[in-house]
Amino acid sequence: MKVNNTCVGCGQCAAYCPYDAIIVFGRAGMNEKCIECGTCVRYCPVSAIAEE
Amino acid sequence: MKAVIIGAGLGGLLSGAKLSKAGYEVEIFERLPFIGGRFANLDYRGFKLSTGALHMIPHGSRGPLAQMLREVGAGVTIVDSKPAAVIKMNDDTEIAFKDFQKQLSLTKNIKLGTILLYSRKFKPKNDLSFKDWILKYFDDDFLLKLADSFCGWALSLRAKDVPAQEMLEIIDNMYLYKGSGIPKGGCGAVTGALADVIKSNGGKIHTGECVDKIIIDKEKACGVSASERTIDADIIISDIGHLETVRMYDCRDEAYSGRINKARPSKGIKICLSSDEPLIGHSGVFFTPYAERINGINEVTNADPNLAPPGKHLVMSHQTVISDDLNQEINLGLLDLKKLFSGKKYEVLLVQSYSDGWPVNRASSGSDIGNWTPVQNLYVVGDGAKGKGGIEVEGVALGVMNVMKEIGIIV
Repeated sequence: MKVNNTCVGCGQCAAYCPYDAIIVFGRAGMNEKCIECGTCVRYCPVSAIAEE
Repeated sequence: MKAVIIGAGLGGLLSGAKLSKAGYEVEIFERLPFIGGRFANLDYRGFKLSTGALHMIPHGSRGPLAQMLREVGAGVTIVDSKPAAVIKMNDDTEIAFKDFQKQLSLTKNIKLGTILLYSRKFKPKNDLSFKDWILKYFDDDFLLKLADSFCGWALSLRAKDVPAQEMLEIIDNMYLYKGSGIPKGGCGAVTGALADVIKSNGGKIHTGECVDKIIIDKEKACGVSASERTIDADIIISDIGHLETVRMYDCRDEAYSGRINKARPSKGIKICLSSDEPLIGHSGVFFTPYAERINGINEVTNADPNLAPPGKHLVMSHQTVISDDLNQEINLGLLDLKKLFSGKKYEVLLVQSYSDGWPVNRASSGSDIGNWTPVQNLYVVGDGAKGKGGIEVEGVALGVMNVMKEIGIIV
């Protein structure tokens, strides 16, 4: 998944990620557990996440 | 009569509950897959974290939000905090917030009482900041630090960025409604109960559905287009802030457009901690005026243990963002927590930050534009359109009350 600059780091994606694959620290980033399922896209309030 | 509401945040849901109870046919559109906006629960590793606001109602069971929840019949239990708030002093002692004046010399204490009494009656001019208002009368480091801690906690601003006038309105409300409380079940219990009220009154809430356009005919809002259909409405309430709302129609009122562009969203950082032993020991606000960045902390599990897995505590800190370096701001916050809870064991669950498009408040206190729009039958509620002197969700409730009065629904 690709996270763009509009990400504010609210952590909503991390909580809804079924694979515990998102680390948030000021901004979201995916770790190696990410399988590109795309769940996070719908839960992002600022449309900052897109499929690669 | 039909009401369409854009956004199922607290303001949208409060409006929906009120209108559906008054007999309106209510339809709410929420673009996210869940309701509650920045006043919802976020399940995380067995803890009930929150999407935005802390699990807290600033004026507890006596405030405007609690009053509205009772009026619409939303089943929410608010546990009033005792003590309401505590201040962590520089020498590590703790004092009750209500006794803060005792930290001042007798002369300053009497002076503060007189000035507060005078200034509450004759509010200062709007261009004077709360910090400058304090400096005008006092040279006192503790008062300035406490003001920053309070403003940071309650408004996610520094005292220099809050108009003294707005702060004195807040002080009025603190005298009127008193201290804070925690909703049992967290933020999500409040927004969930409101959704139940709306549904039981026959209202509909669509999640994952966007409103694309507000339809206007002869300067009157008359419907919306959403998910490729048109919905006629007598009243449209937007809970997405003035700026986002104005993008949904062709606004010709330049004065209004200018005004809404001046609203500044406020930034904040929330750090969620888990611990086996209580770090604070009560559910009141723990103000930290001597910390580098953290403004205050709340241990919500003292009011509702179910917000954490059995045997765990959930602690949430809040700080306003001072520099442009967000990572540095977070690290300073984490360092504060280390110092404040030195010798105690805890784990950082999640660091959440808010700004710009998903801020603490869409319009920071003092830059609120109110609920009015240049279009008839179109109103804005939520944290971009709070009522005077309303802290966070209390301001949202006051704003909704204003709109209901305007529409002619008895509050």
